[in-house]
Amino acid sequence: MTENSVRLIIDGREVSADPSKSILQAFSESGGTLVSNVGCMGQGVCGSCRCMVRRKDDRQVNMELGCETQVEDGMQVAFVSYFQPKRPHVYDMKDVQDSWSLYNTMNEIFPQARNCRHCSGCDRACPRGIDVQKGVELAVNGDLSGAAEVFAECIMCNLCTLACPERIRPNHLGLFLRRATTAMSLRPVDLMQRLQEIETGAATIDVDAVDVEPTP
Amino acid sequence: MTTGISYTEALAAFNRTNDYPMRDDALPKDDLLRGFHPDQAGEAPIPLKIGVNSGMPCHPRLAAILQSNALIDDVNIVGAEIQNTDILVIGGGGAGAAAALTAADKGARVTLATKLLVGDSNTVMAEGGIQAAVGQDDSPQRHFNDTYKAGHRLADKELVKQMALDGPDVIRWLIQMGVAFDVLDDRSFGGRLKRKKPGGATAPRILSCKDYTGLELMRVLREAVNLHPNITIMNRCPTVELLSDDYGNCAGAVVYNLERRRFIQLRARRTIIATGGSGRLHLNDFPTSNHYGATADGLVLAYRIGARLREVDSFQYHPTGLAHPPHLRGGLVSEAARSLGAKLVNGLGERFTDELQPRDVVASAILREIAEGRGVERDGQLGIFLDVTGLIADNPNILKEALVSLAHLAGKCELDPSTTPLMITPTLHYQNGGVVIDRHGESTVPNLFCVGEVSGGIHGRNRMMGNALLEIISFGRRAGARAAEGMAEAFASRPGIHHVHDWQRQLSMAGLPLDIHGPTLFPDYGHFNLAADAKLASSFAAE
Amino acid sequence: MTQDTTPQVLLNPEFHVGPDLAGWYAVGGGDGLRTAMADPKACLTTIEASGLRGMGGAGFPTSRKWGMLAERDAADKVIICNGNEDEPGTFKDRVLLETSPHQVIEGGLIAALATGANYLYYYINPHHMKGLAAMRRALEQWLVDDLFQDMQKALGKSMHIYVVESSGLYIGGEETAVISSIEGGFPFPRVKPPFPVESGLFGKPTIINNVETLSNVSHILRNGADWYQNLGIGKAAGTKLYSLSGDVLRPGLYELPMGTSLHDLVFIHGGGMLLGKEFKAVFTGGPSNTLLTKKDLDVAMDFDSVRERNSRLGTGAMIVISEGTSIVRKVTEYMDFFAKGSCGQCPPCKSGTFQIARILERFSTGDSTESDLAALENLCKILPGCGRCALIDGAVTVVESSLETFRDEYLAGIQRS
Repeated sequence: MTENSVRLIIDGREVSADPSKSILQAFSESGGTLVSNVGCMGQGVCGSCRCMVRRKDDRQVNMELGCETQVEDGMQVAFVSYFQPKRPHVYDMKDVQDSWSLYNTMNEIFPQARNCRHCSGCDRACPRGIDVQKGVELAVNGDLSGAAEVFAECIMCNLCTLACPERIRPNHLGLFLRRATTAMSLRPVDLMQRLQEIETGAATIDVDAVDVEPTP
Repeated sequence: MTTGISYTEALAAFNRTNDYPMRDDALPKDDLLRGFHPDQAGEAPIPLKIGVNSGMPCHPRLAAILQSNALIDDVNIVGAEIQNTDILVIGGGGAGAAAALTAADKGARVTLATKLLVGDSNTVMAEGGIQAAVGQDDSPQRHFNDTYKAGHRLADKELVKQMALDGPDVIRWLIQMGVAFDVLDDRSFGGRLKRKKPGGATAPRILSCKDYTGLELMRVLREAVNLHPNITIMNRCPTVELLSDDYGNCAGAVVYNLERRRFIQLRARRTIIATGGSGRLHLNDFPTSNHYGATADGLVLAYRIGARLREVDSFQYHPTGLAHPPHLRGGLVSEAARSLGAKLVNGLGERFTDELQPRDVVASAILREIAEGRGVERDGQLGIFLDVTGLIADNPNILKEALVSLAHLAGKCELDPSTTPLMITPTLHYQNGGVVIDRHGESTVPNLFCVGEVSGGIHGRNRMMGNALLEIISFGRRAGARAAEGMAEAFASRPGIHHVHDWQRQLSMAGLPLDIHGPTLFPDYGHFNLAADAKLASSFAAE
Repeated sequence: MTQDTTPQVLLNPEFHVGPDLAGWYAVGGGDGLRTAMADPKACLTTIEASGLRGMGGAGFPTSRKWGMLAERDAADKVIICNGNEDEPGTFKDRVLLETSPHQVIEGGLIAALATGANYLYYYINPHHMKGLAAMRRALEQWLVDDLFQDMQKALGKSMHIYVVESSGLYIGGEETAVISSIEGGFPFPRVKPPFPVESGLFGKPTIINNVETLSNVSHILRNGADWYQNLGIGKAAGTKLYSLSGDVLRPGLYELPMGTSLHDLVFIHGGGMLLGKEFKAVFTGGPSNTLLTKKDLDVAMDFDSVRERNSRLGTGAMIVISEGTSIVRKVTEYMDFFAKGSCGQCPPCKSGTFQIARILERFSTGDSTESDLAALENLCKILPGCGRCALIDGAVTVVESSLETFRDEYLAGIQRS
């Protein structure tokens, strides 16, 4: 270890690491068995390495991603196991077709959303800093595409779902709206035209024409 | 020991001008690849000694695992719970999800077993986008031509044709599932898709959702899989061996439940391997952009049961992995940056290659700069600069509109991308070859399908940006649909690990070591030992 | 049965008249209130001398709590009687509400006189349906009773009394959560300070008393402080309702002198261990406290003596565990309760209890490892103090205590797997 290495505790394991390392790297390099709570290893998109972090002399415990948080001296870390909502909101996007009734459909699938108590637990739980509560509020008030946009960078770590006392499952609500608005409204004309060309046989591929400059 | 130009000096050279001079000493493409591409300039390939591909060259480190002994013996699955399912999908990335959804929609009962969690995969990390020929200046034929040529004319033409023709339908299917793609002028209905040009293409063809296309795609497919009534998900259950019947056909798999530390026999009519690639083997000691689970498990198991492989000596090194800071080394900077116009600059403030050539060429050009001392050196790390300052100057909103992930990454590097270049170096990114498949994703072993990065033949010896996401959905759906046929057939009788004993005979007769066990399941820095974890009693167990 | 040999106040069958006010007066009801009306200022002194303490778990001297409210200079002051009772193993308040609602109401009116409060809320768990119904019927009679009119004259302002349903959630029993709930919101605990007595219900000075605490008050006023003080053993005052459950022959609710020993409760009143099995431990009042074990059988079960054993009397719930019952499985069960009960506004409490429950489940199913043990102990170090209320602290205490005292049961789980 270098002189400026820091000491911290990860899931009960005493770890000494270079301060440039992430929690996940420090844990692995200390010899810890790493077979869960790990995935993209640094990109911050898989949501598997969510953990509770308490810094030295701080009473507060924060929810963070282990692959993106750098180690600090005196830090204490506990990983949070993966979590799936026990009673999932069941829907099949193929059945969500009538855009006129999307607001009703949303309320049927996520009836708890309107019970939001504005406790902000979801906001505090989100390791990506998303305005989760605002997203739920927009959805309830009928700004469906606005709500969908709030969740654009959500990595579906489910920490807001775990936190919500009203069992709203905010990230799943956001994803539902993103999916539904896309499935109902995204109709690129260039794609439609090309599909028609392929389906009628007008556009095809000659595997022997690889060196012939295709005509537009 | 190669050295480079110090970071301070290089930064001074970089800042001198915004219009970097282009070096004039470019090598012919073949010489460049031969001299600097790690496939050819790295560890020399060795011929495989056993299995259906005996004699075929393979990267030595991969060969060691491909020719490894099994992790378990017959006695280890005594008492293991048995579950029956129509279709077993191994792997929870985009290919596995697409296969599972398609088969389940056709009424099959599907079990999806995955080593980590559903969605926790390379797919979710894909940033650049997905190829589909939708432009007026483009065509499926052009897509075919570009892909085939970028792969050095070594791909299976039928597979490439199938994938290119599937492209537009894949995009429609994804939209129907609820995957968003960027459109021009925000015109969702009746507008046109925003397109980017991938390296090596003759027309813009990359469709994307900002620069987190993989995240957008995977979170939608994961949700659909989670909600599908016909799909049972087994998270944290790595496959340790396939099951075979009396005829050597695939009959399911043995998985190890990491949470309960028990083996489970999953007997299936059809098995679809979608375990992805092998970046975490760190071939040639390269850093990797890959997900933690990419340890070639499916490739090893498929080879052991008798599936034919191809091009297992060919890997893609993505040109722009991070070189600094050290703890982020290997992390990917999406090709989206270059396709939007980002420039590569060496330590002397010079450009040295056309940034939009195929990835193997660009990566080799970067490695050449570094090898010849024109790289940038910082804290012992060597790399060259990737410059997006010009892009941001031209369009100050570009970080928000198109390069969201890049902005996030720059933040983690503690630098301002509008003034300072990122320091990059090639990173092990993709396994070009893999299991030989037909146009339905079926391998040469009956009842065994392989889709996604584990399969081979589509990309030849070099993959284009955006063809990986297209491949996983195109072939994932194909395999799912084909596997769901014939559900009336009886289950194989007496499934077991008979093929393992044949394999062990071959190992012994070839004089290969019996004490190397595979697949590895986790990188060595995961410190996982199956034998110890499962308390395997047999002396056979891996140490 | 040995119950009849002990002094009985709250559980005295004589007072169990239900919601019949005339019946209550017939057994001496109303006398305490009249004493208080005669000299409201003397109430505090009497209560102080009686040694009455908060029976909801904290054991805070009731007179001091009342004193803080009495000192507040405000037009409106609030007393809330907390009948949310939802902890596993606690079943005393529901009995009091159902069998003797007037006892509870009269105690509240005396408290109002003593503190100058003019709002009195009875906050009752809707799952205690009979108790809730009895309270409503009892209150109807008070509101039209002459004694109540006289009491308001003595108070000098009109008195508002309400019976309100709580959310029925465990978290809803926390003091500030009680306030959030009555104000119409979800029972979220609030950041303290401000303390309720500074700014409580609708911003008014507020105190919260437990049902059992207020039930004692009319008897103290009627029979005097000395009488109450002398009911207890040693320094302890009064009686206590012990909710005895678990592996004993005769589980049930016992009113015994405060300070009765654990041994006597279990082996004399409770009839001893079920099937004669060896006594192992007791989860006390919550169950969010340090476990009592064999060496604690001699402990006098009053607030101070139990605290000397580093545990807490809490609500007086005593869940007795024999050698035939697994501590690990019990703790797992309670942790599941805490994880479900955590409200979520403090994510580390919600994810912390979730994570502890997850790991404990592995111990109870025999799938645990050494690293699970390390992770569990790590959580016990990280989590205390991370929440607005004490839920997480209680949850951690019971885990920590079981790990310390019954480590062998955890280790056995690891060896099994």
